[in-house]
Amino acid sequence: MHWWQIKKRDADLKRELDSDLELEEEEQRENGLPLEEARYAARRAFGNKTLIREQTHEAWGWAAFERLSQDIRYALRQLRRSPGFTAVAVMTLALGIGATTAIFTLVYDVMLRPLPFTKANQLVTVEERVLEWSNIYPTLPVSANHFTFWQRHSRSFDSMALMQEFPVPLGTNDRPQQVSVVWATPGIFSVLQVQPWMGRAFTVSEAQDGSEHVAILMYDLWSKQFSGDPGILGKTIRLNGSPYTVVGVMPPWFHMPSLQGSETIGEANRSRPLGVLAPLAFSKERLAEEMGDLNYFGLARLKPGISITAATADLDALQHTIGANLPADEKATLSVALTSFQDTLVGNNRKPLVILLAAAVGLLLVGCVNVTNLLLARAVGRKQQLAVAAALGASRAEMVRMALREIAVLATAGSGLGIVLAASMVPAMQRYLPSALDFRGPLHLDWMGAGCALLLAVIASLLAGAAPALMISRTAPLEVLHSESRLAGESRGNRRVRRTLVGIEVAVSVALVLMTGLLTASLVKLMTVDRGFTTERTITATVELPMQSYHDDQRRAAFYKAVLERMQRLPGVEHAAFASALPLEGDGWGDMARVEGDNRPSTQLPLESFRWVSTDYFSTIHLELIAGQTFSQDDWGKNLALVSEKTAKALWPGKNPIGLQFSWGNPATEKPFTVIGIVRDARTVSLAKLDPMLIYVPYWYRTEPTAGLMVRTRQEPSEMADPIRKTIWSVDSNVPVPEVRALAGVITDSVANERFEMYLLLLFAASALFLAGLGVYGVVTYSVVQRNREIGLRMALGARRATVYRLVLRDGLLPVAVGAVGGMVLAFGSARLVSSLLFQVSPYDPALNAGAICVLLAVGTVACVLPARRAASVDPMQALRTE
Amino acid sequence: MAKQIQQRANLLQGTLDMLILRTLLYGPAHGHQIGKHIQRSTNDFLQMQHGSLYPALHRVERRGWVTSKWEMAPDRNREFKYYRLTEKGRKQLTVEESQWKLMAEAVARVMWPTAEES
Repeated sequence: MHWWQIKKRDADLKRELDSDLELEEEEQRENGLPLEEARYAARRAFGNKTLIREQTHEAWGWAAFERLSQDIRYALRQLRRSPGFTAVAVMTLALGIGATTAIFTLVYDVMLRPLPFTKANQLVTVEERVLEWSNIYPTLPVSANHFTFWQRHSRSFDSMALMQEFPVPLGTNDRPQQVSVVWATPGIFSVLQVQPWMGRAFTVSEAQDGSEHVAILMYDLWSKQFSGDPGILGKTIRLNGSPYTVVGVMPPWFHMPSLQGSETIGEANRSRPLGVLAPLAFSKERLAEEMGDLNYFGLARLKPGISITAATADLDALQHTIGANLPADEKATLSVALTSFQDTLVGNNRKPLVILLAAAVGLLLVGCVNVTNLLLARAVGRKQQLAVAAALGASRAEMVRMALREIAVLATAGSGLGIVLAASMVPAMQRYLPSALDFRGPLHLDWMGAGCALLLAVIASLLAGAAPALMISRTAPLEVLHSESRLAGESRGNRRVRRTLVGIEVAVSVALVLMTGLLTASLVKLMTVDRGFTTERTITATVELPMQSYHDDQRRAAFYKAVLERMQRLPGVEHAAFASALPLEGDGWGDMARVEGDNRPSTQLPLESFRWVSTDYFSTIHLELIAGQTFSQDDWGKNLALVSEKTAKALWPGKNPIGLQFSWGNPATEKPFTVIGIVRDARTVSLAKLDPMLIYVPYWYRTEPTAGLMVRTRQEPSEMADPIRKTIWSVDSNVPVPEVRALAGVITDSVANERFEMYLLLLFAASALFLAGLGVYGVVTYSVVQRNREIGLRMALGARRATVYRLVLRDGLLPVAVGAVGGMVLAFGSARLVSSLLFQVSPYDPALNAGAICVLLAVGTVACVLPARRAASVDPMQALRTE
Repeated sequence: MAKQIQQRANLLQGTLDMLILRTLLYGPAHGHQIGKHIQRSTNDFLQMQHGSLYPALHRVERRGWVTSKWEMAPDRNREFKYYRLTEKGRKQLTVEESQWKLMAEAVARVMWPTAEES
């Protein structure tokens, strides 16, 4: 029934009752009563008209609705009377609900939202474990050789696929466009349970070495690059310079998460959307490599009902067989690591998210407690009114309803505002998504988030409304009405509840402040740690050489050499160097160096990280040489190497390695390397830890198509971006230069997410602090007002202002102190979760812990001093006279 | 008086509905007439309480047993809300009547067993 119908029916009922009342009156008059008396008699006979109307409404079945609207109207009237309280309460709840909703949306999207694949919970990623190398690589990608064996013998999988993703140039024109290509074995279609939208999937025979020149386009690439050409099937496109026949187009809803960078959250998101799916074919030599080709991303679909544990056991058995049959010089202990696809993509983002969510919930809790406190104070002020209501026969249930209706309206308004707040916060969090999971389009607040906000509103009302409701329902009208009206102070029990609430607030705030302090200190340490290299006046660029014109090391090295020569001639350039990766953007390739005379099987050898660099690399980023010298152009073609301190100590313990030799790869074909220098251990892979064992080889020995260019300038580096691009293009205009930026920016970007985390926490902690201060202030002010007469009496009897101050401060700071201790306990309890996110900072750091407590005490003191001043300025005569 | 209140309270809800329907069997009537009729027919034993009459009227209307319409009263120049028995209401009345009869007989059998046996 709509409200306007209800109104009409009610008017109708009123008319009916009125007319019947008139009849009754007439009848009474006919009985001989005078006019006036007849009217009263009729009214008496008829009874309470309003009550009859209400009772009749119940027969219509919308009494509940009516009661609700009455409640809302009543609550609104009450709230309108105290706009300050209303505003503070709504804002508090909105902040708490908004923050929690926004973080929850992010957490849901990252950790809980199912991946957009059929039965995504059956998808697992497969990694290999090699016990001998586990100190550096806990897990490794999959080898094609092992994969073939698993495919033949495993029984736990519906299907399996290996994949690789890297960008290649598409087309033949002057500036070929780079597209990201996933090269996958044909099993990918049954693993993901997806079929092309147009055309067909590639077959097993098309995934053989030599016949793998077919391609399936992603919908977006097809519609943009090929303008949705309906006749695309059968046409030829050029990938990396080679012809590929298009056999299919994937459905528009199909998106593939990026297979790279799933482990690092901080990495600037530079991955392009996937453009093409092409077969991954293995050459005979590849397939024969038993331990050398651990390079591929393994994805598999478990058979229904098979657990990850069972599948792991299955593959481990196969790995054992493979390990047992390895030749003596490659002996290794193999096993696998299976992880659900979702967990792999989430990577190590779980913990920061959990901490942020906990912080947001903490903020909400502090907000709720504050609102409870405010409501309690109001309830105490309305004691008389409530007692009258109870005396007039309001039932206990009605009293509780009375207590809850205000908070319900507040929470509804708060959650509404909170949703608005969250909706504006959520899109800004897109960048916080791990790049691997950032493939589902823009992040926005959805029904899940809105539902979360509403649920939080309900919880908040119950939480904040419980204490006042309990207090009200316990109202003993007689007692209240008998007690000396305005003299009645707050009951002891009530005061204890309010102090406990302040204690909780303070505890949560201390924990939040401490957490923020820890993360901030950690970030400061991370940014100021001795990196071992410098970033001043250094600008960087990345280049991606097209494969068709640069398919061998010689051509690439020639290109790099030409660019460096021209770069050096640019005005303002001090040094310029190429390396396989920019600092903090990669480590290099892993391999085992064999010192002369070491005859262990290669798998038993220590694993080092290899990096190719040009001659000026060390002087460009000021990476310090401890001994020896660097490469020079005169050494061109010679097999020389520099090693890091760690490598020197591990390979040649107690010896000076300069002049000594090592080899790697196949000693029969590869010439040995001579060590010419030792480089200081730095933090070029990650700021958080010292580099692993590193070996630097010259770029004339080996290069890759992607490289990082570093240029140290004498002037402002930002002006160098254009000259650098132009110089590269003056050597070859076809080389894409996707990015030019300052090295300092690269460093800053590497901690972008830690910083984002810290800012959010800072915001939460500051809000919680403010609320806690407000809470203390509210409680103390209230008790000062309540004890106005007592204080006046004390002063009249000779108490000094200082005594009054002490009295109020003790009263107010006691719950703060107790709460601070509670907060420490809370923080220590969660220390383990936090400590793994900290860099060179202990969660028990005494200075930070003491600092957090001091901050809270300071806020508490400020919150107490204001009411204390008010108390001390009480005029005793005035106070005693008012009652 | 106390006794009467007690008995009124015991007047079952369903019974009041039945009485209303029975009253309307004589023809359309408005609330006041219905109340007075029940009161008079029972020699004032059942005093109509308006607090239960109007909810009952609206209840039977919602169930579709009666319809209502504002009509001019034949004897005076005023409109009253007249309730009229529907076909459904007529059927309901027979159902309730027979149920009431069964109930009354059953109660009577327990209360005055000798009368039954003789």
